Amino acid sequence: MKRAWTLATIVWLEMIRRKDIYVLFIMLAALLVAMIALDVFGLGQVTGYVKDIGLLAAWLLGWILAINTSIRQLPQEETRGTIFPLLAKPVTRWELIVGKWLGVWVVVMTAMLLFYLTTWGVVALKGGAFNPLTLIQAFVLHAVALAVLVAIGIALSTRLNADAAAAMAYVLTGAAFAIVPHISMLLAVTTGLRGALLNALYYLLPHFELFDLRRRLVHDWGAAEGLAVGGATLYGALLTLGFLLLAWIGYRRKRFSRGEIL
Amino acid sequence: MQTAIDIRGLSVTFPTPSGPVHALRDVTLSIEAGTVFGFLGPNGAGKTTTILTLLGFLKPTSGQAFVFGQDCTATIARERIGYLAENPDTYTFLSGRELLTLTGKLFRLAPAVIRERAGRLLEDTALTGAADRRIAGYSRGMRQRICLAQSLMNDPDLLILDEPTGGMDPLGRMEIRRLIAARKAAGKTVFFSSHELSEVELVCDRVGIVAGGRLVAEGRTADLVKPGQSLERYFVDLVTAAAARSEGAP
Repeated sequence: MKRAWTLATIVWLEMIRRKDIYVLFIMLAALLVAMIALDVFGLGQVTGYVKDIGLLAAWLLGWILAINTSIRQLPQEETRGTIFPLLAKPVTRWELIVGKWLGVWVVVMTAMLLFYLTTWGVVALKGGAFNPLTLIQAFVLHAVALAVLVAIGIALSTRLNADAAAAMAYVLTGAAFAIVPHISMLLAVTTGLRGALLNALYYLLPHFELFDLRRRLVHDWGAAEGLAVGGATLYGALLTLGFLLLAWIGYRRKRFSRGEIL
Repeated sequence: MQTAIDIRGLSVTFPTPSGPVHALRDVTLSIEAGTVFGFLGPNGAGKTTTILTLLGFLKPTSGQAFVFGQDCTATIARERIGYLAENPDTYTFLSGRELLTLTGKLFRLAPAVIRERAGRLLEDTALTGAADRRIAGYSRGMRQRICLAQSLMNDPDLLILDEPTGGMDPLGRMEIRRLIAARKAAGKTVFFSSHELSEVELVCDRVGIVAGGRLVAEGRTADLVKPGQSLERYFVDLVTAAAARSEGAP
């Protein structure tokens, strides 16, 4: 794991020095503007509304950040040729994949922490508050969701170029976000081939809704059951591991060529 | 004497839409430790394919290659290898010192060893003054030197140089010659791929010549080249003959 950690360090240094971090600050500014300036129908003073906007923005921005940064890690190493000096060292492809995943995940998690802190600050400014335990649970589960998203991005980028991997990742995870939570309802009124297809989607696509505690936070329903949070975390860890294994399978025998190989 | 590189019946074939391309055909080669070995061949002869196979980037279609007795597909084989690519690429957002430090960490060197070795290599490559500047601001020559320093961070028993003098000025070439001589004096093995026959003649103990994916000659330069004949003449004659044979082959 030491090598994976070193590889993750390279990811962090690159994101900071290539000024990718500026995107994060633009996103933070957008989040602040959304929460402070938007005052539709005078709802701007209702802290539940502010919480809702802040957390929705954190989920949307986290999704974009996780996909956009993860899908370019491996293709970038290949296009700029740094994969050669890197894999000429005693670095296994599994270590490379885990290192890239870890690097991106930590960056995206740090960004999320800033988003949560910003939301918490604005809500406090408007006289509201979050249940601290629920907020921590929400952040932990959000971090688990981001781990899965980053693993999906890395897995797709082992076989596709960055653009194609991004498109696939957005379609796959967008479908998981938008469709999967409603499949159980649809299944009650759908039969035949369409029902089988929905069933397949239900089991194949990740259930991101399990990591989303926004409504609990917005409506002050209190903390979730520890067992449920633990179960969702375990599910997320298994999904992450599964996608990282898929990434490794896709990458372990990949041929790299340069110059006059043929 | 230990064998540094042991290649046995190595073939590498690439499937392409227009049919298989045989990049290497039944190459057998053994290089003793402590040798400076020049690997020569025209463009597309199979030099880079051989190197990429030794580094584990390409899996042999048939045959095997060993580095110090370890199968080259095993990660452990790369513990003892340093590699400098032609037109080397590196992380330009890092400083020279950071690049060497991270390289040392990837080889799991102790922090004290990393500090000492990075400092010495920066000095040897005349980059001490630029050590804490980002590589993006380095000149081409400086970038080649930092990549060279990187390839030496693990004090490799086998240094693989792929066209190391390509695009270098005379001072840079001299630097590479000096480095190769220093590695040899330290009892290390150098595998040196090049088109620059004059460079090869100057520094190598033995040479191997590949053409059309086959090893067509191998031995001491003095044994291969007739008295009064240059290595260049020998190389041209050999490669031309090999090309004529392969055109006649089915």
